[in-house]
Amino acid sequence: MILVLIDILIATVPLMVIFASLFAFTTWLERKALARIQNRIGPNKVGIPCTRISLFGLGQPAADGIKMLFKEDIVPRGADRLFHLLAPILALIPAMLVLCFLPLEFPWTKSLLPVQAFLLDGAVIFFFAITGLNTLAVFMAGWASRNKYSLLGGMRAVAQMVSYEIPLVLSAVIVVMMVGSLNAAVIADAQTGFNWFVFSPWGFAAFIIFFIAALAETNRSPFDLPEAESEIIAGYFTEYSGFKFALFFLGEYIAMFAISGLAVTLFLGGGDGPGVTMNLVDQGLATEAFPGLTVIWFLMKIFALIAVMIWLRGTLPRLRVDQLMGFAWKFMLPLSILNIFIAGSALHLMAGDRLADLDETQPVLRQLMEGANLPVVAGLWIGALLILYVAAKGLNQLNRPNVRPREYKYAE
Amino acid sequence: MSLLGGGIFKGMTVTLRNFIGSYFSKERLTTNDYSWRPDGDLPQGIGDYPKEEGEQLSDTTTVTEYSRNFPMLLHDGGEPMDTVRCVACQICERECPPQCIYIEKDYDENGKYIKRPAIFDIDVSVCMSCQICVEVCPFDAIVMNSQFELSTPDRFGGLLVRRDDLLKSNDYYHQIHPEEAAARDQKMAVEKAAKEAKKKAAEEKARAAAEQKAAEAAKGDAE
Repeated sequence: MILVLIDILIATVPLMVIFASLFAFTTWLERKALARIQNRIGPNKVGIPCTRISLFGLGQPAADGIKMLFKEDIVPRGADRLFHLLAPILALIPAMLVLCFLPLEFPWTKSLLPVQAFLLDGAVIFFFAITGLNTLAVFMAGWASRNKYSLLGGMRAVAQMVSYEIPLVLSAVIVVMMVGSLNAAVIADAQTGFNWFVFSPWGFAAFIIFFIAALAETNRSPFDLPEAESEIIAGYFTEYSGFKFALFFLGEYIAMFAISGLAVTLFLGGGDGPGVTMNLVDQGLATEAFPGLTVIWFLMKIFALIAVMIWLRGTLPRLRVDQLMGFAWKFMLPLSILNIFIAGSALHLMAGDRLADLDETQPVLRQLMEGANLPVVAGLWIGALLILYVAAKGLNQLNRPNVRPREYKYAE
Repeated sequence: MSLLGGGIFKGMTVTLRNFIGSYFSKERLTTNDYSWRPDGDLPQGIGDYPKEEGEQLSDTTTVTEYSRNFPMLLHDGGEPMDTVRCVACQICERECPPQCIYIEKDYDENGKYIKRPAIFDIDVSVCMSCQICVEVCPFDAIVMNSQFELSTPDRFGGLLVRRDDLLKSNDYYHQIHPEEAAARDQKMAVEKAAKEAKKKAAEEKARAAAEQKAAEAAKGDAE
């Protein structure tokens, strides 16, 4: 019993430590990148305390954390104190929890495979189930604050997160169809040797849809309506200060890591990369050049996605509420359903009657390519891309608001 | 037919260009590195930033010549209160939206109004830098300063700027906002010329009237 507990601690504590420190680094990175995008300098003063060493302002997250800890924790008089306290905790716990389902194979967890939570069959389903709790936390915060802006933010968050959950899950279905398993580790292993699902047309389309829906799910710009500071102050965490606010902030970033991690697992090959070779004999599990290489690749891919998120935040203006809802229901949903049909037909046309014989422990795309003849595959891929593009373009035209083009008097 | 999502990529290239460019060209940076770091690059401003810790900011320290912060009172050099342009007409006090200006007129020992303020206070904790006082002033006496280093340990008295601290010379104005100061000087010169011309015209008219009257009187005498 004790041994199991120790194993669990060994498996989970590094996750918390690593992702919490990555959170600190990401806040710095985000401020720095946004500043540079706006031709500013960004934080560059705080470094090692009591010295003049500034280290590009890398001490800023620590300073922010200390500030947050010592700030007064204000609860509005009319607030529901219990739920006001519970909401930030509930925002953080699901985000932390789903980190366990990412197929991160740390060198020190190899020996304790039995407690590796990510070996759960159906990890993908579980992931979506747990992240769905985030909606509850956000609405709880909005409701318990007894503030009009908070409630507006909470209501917007519920509408947005429920709407974008659907394209998110539907685009993940593509990968589940191709692999035939819901186990995150199996899905990652089925993409070794650069057989990433993002390299197929339907996988690429699903990845784009997944990424956009993930942005909306984590309330990131341009979908940050629940906390739109120019409209409703800070949305659902208007009435939060001090450490509770810090917890919300932490939860938001951990959720970003988690959903990026899922995107990496589903579409970007998990821990696959140069130096990781396919091991076709031993259950398809990849062998790495040195221990921990897959983890490094995995985290680097997560960071690439985070960087794109920051980049988009620095680029795009916030959507209107009706645009947001229209985009989810009139554009993303039909496109992801069409994508499922395309993926299914492509799978059948390429694999034919071999479909039942596909080995889920081997790279899927490679197996599909092996049997089929090249012109058919090429035609299929170009056809799929064309259909998806035309469908997206058509949906875009259909959703165009029926107004005449705006005439700019001074601009352009 | 444009590429789907092309606008997003266009925007992203713009932000990427700014991101990378800000590392290579210092001209892009809209803010200056306000630092006591000895190795820090000096900004391209009019005044210099303090390079050593504890060194005071010079009076002309400013970010760019277009920066405006809080109002100041102008005088034309010499003893400030002798050449102050403000006549304590209190137009700015009445127009100020957040009511941050307080003015009292100055009187000599006989109780006669002399055209200058006895008290002129601006509460910079209330001032919103709207420049309406600058717009309404008929004497070009109040303009915007660009000094920003105003932090003080005293919340109440420290942020109430008194008349003597508000008084700045026109030369200083030329130093911090050269373009605007030159334009204002020119405008004032034109106004002065117009005023003088008008005065002259009035004088001439008066003289002509007097002459006519004299002529009429002479005529009447002749009759």
